[in-house]
Amino acid sequence: MNVIQTEHLTKTYKRFEKEAGLKGSVRSLFNRKFISKTAVDDFSLSIGEGEFVGLIGPNGAGKTTLVKMLTGIIAPTSGKVSVLGYYPNKLENSFKRQYAVVMGQKSQLFPELSAADTFLLFKELYAIPDEEYRQNLAYFTELFGIQEYLNVQVRTLSLGERMKMELIAALLHNPKVLFLDEPTIGLDAIAQKQIRSFLREVNGQRGTTIILTSHYMEDIKSLCGRGVVINHGKKLYDGALTSLFDRYQTHKRITVLFEHENGLHLPEDIEILEQNPYKVSMMVKRERAKEVLGLLLEECDISDLTIEEDDIGSVVERIYAGGITDEEVS
Amino acid sequence: MKKYLEILKISFKAQIIYRMDVLFQLLFGITKIIFASVVWGVIFGSRSEVAGFTLNTMLSYYIVSSFLSCMDLSDITGNEMTWRIRDGTFSKYMVVPARVFGYLGAQTAGKAAFYLTFNLIAAVVWVLLFQIKFAITSNALLIIGALLMAALGLVFMLQLNYFLGILTFKFQDVWMFMMIKNNIVQFVTGSLIPLALLPQPVIDAMRLLPFYYVTYLPSMLLIGRNGEELLSGIIIIAVWVAAFIPLNLFTYNHLRKRYEGVGI
Repeated sequence: MNVIQTEHLTKTYKRFEKEAGLKGSVRSLFNRKFISKTAVDDFSLSIGEGEFVGLIGPNGAGKTTLVKMLTGIIAPTSGKVSVLGYYPNKLENSFKRQYAVVMGQKSQLFPELSAADTFLLFKELYAIPDEEYRQNLAYFTELFGIQEYLNVQVRTLSLGERMKMELIAALLHNPKVLFLDEPTIGLDAIAQKQIRSFLREVNGQRGTTIILTSHYMEDIKSLCGRGVVINHGKKLYDGALTSLFDRYQTHKRITVLFEHENGLHLPEDIEILEQNPYKVSMMVKRERAKEVLGLLLEECDISDLTIEEDDIGSVVERIYAGGITDEEVS
Repeated sequence: MKKYLEILKISFKAQIIYRMDVLFQLLFGITKIIFASVVWGVIFGSRSEVAGFTLNTMLSYYIVSSFLSCMDLSDITGNEMTWRIRDGTFSKYMVVPARVFGYLGAQTAGKAAFYLTFNLIAAVVWVLLFQIKFAITSNALLIIGALLMAALGLVFMLQLNYFLGILTFKFQDVWMFMMIKNNIVQFVTGSLIPLALLPQPVIDAMRLLPFYYVTYLPSMLLIGRNGEELLSGIIIIAVWVAAFIPLNLFTYNHLRKRYEGVGI
């Protein structure tokens, strides 16, 4: 059963535009110019119950706009949208009781109070029965191991602790669908890992449908079975993530720091991103990574070495440049 | 209803979190009343009455109207709506299963409860300390009528500021509307020009506006004056409140579709 269904969904924003400087400001007072930007364009999507779907795309791709339309925060310009059988922008309370949304940079917690105070508010807002509230709170706080921070003032918590509290607040009422917009943004590696493991558990054990947007490839790769790639508001890819990464995550970024000044000469087909006598950073095709590493280890006195996967932006760029077949966008 | 009570509670809890704020609020309440007592003491001098008021009735009027004024925090609500709509954080009210007006109203009531509590403590301390005879009417009908009128007045002010806040969806900046509203309120309540200086038809026309019934008339009723205006006052303010219910519902449902959640 599909819990989310969109057909030809489109959102166009009207933006105010003015030339820089005083002259531009005065001119815009009399002759205001607006430009249209289509943030989501003819977007069709179906998401089934219990799926964990990653929305992938660079900044400004339209991911957050899509989430805002699915949660009813903004109204679509055209097209159809249905979430759990509701038209989201009608903002019916019976609909709002069945989903939750966590925006990485916006908080539902009251900064001056403890997270436990916000949880009590959510208990009443969502009419959660006492027993269910106690069980859920105990379950989630244990899963995160943050019992000792429940009564601490929110504004004094670390970013990671705060995000864990946001997730608990969102899940106390057992939502059927959870929307997550950049939940790990700005967090350290340990907190990111804990949140990933928490979300995996929630999806696996509770069957919550999760829609995740993230800039971190690791979030998407380790959590989502299905990926939807968006750029310029259009869907570029919709399907299994494994085949997406096999096909489009073709490069690795290798960065090397040298102990001593080094005049390293690399093969011409390697893309150098940055090079100075003490550092070189390059993009290497995945199949050539081993060979290049061997060359570096053999010829250089290395003080540090990092190997990173392609970031989401590069993958999207590659998909965009390479084109995509109709089956993949199904 | 329980959820709105919890919103009120959480708003009250947020107000009392900092002990110095609480202490200064208490001191401010006491200082304000002492200052009023000194000023009115000088004005009265050796006279027993000024414009039909004794010193005790004047101070009682001051205390009561201060209470009612401190409970009207609707300005804060309107301004909060404006900045939240502008910076995109208004979404937090849209995604929870509660009516936005109810949420904001309960939040404002929580803050008002904080000011009321500490101003009440300050007033009691002051009355006991200086042995002031509190000149409140003993007429139960006037007391009940005044409290009902004041409650309707506060609801109206919240509705009005909520309405102005909603206009942000369309105009992005509503400071001009807020300023016009504040000037009208000051004019009608006699803060800009004493009402007695205005021609009678103008005063009569202003009595059809709701602002007269928010703090001024309820305060006068509580000290036993203007009793003949009780019924008409309640009817006028109730009509205003009733008229704003569909107006706010329509305006909100119509204009919120313009919300873009920018900043999220």
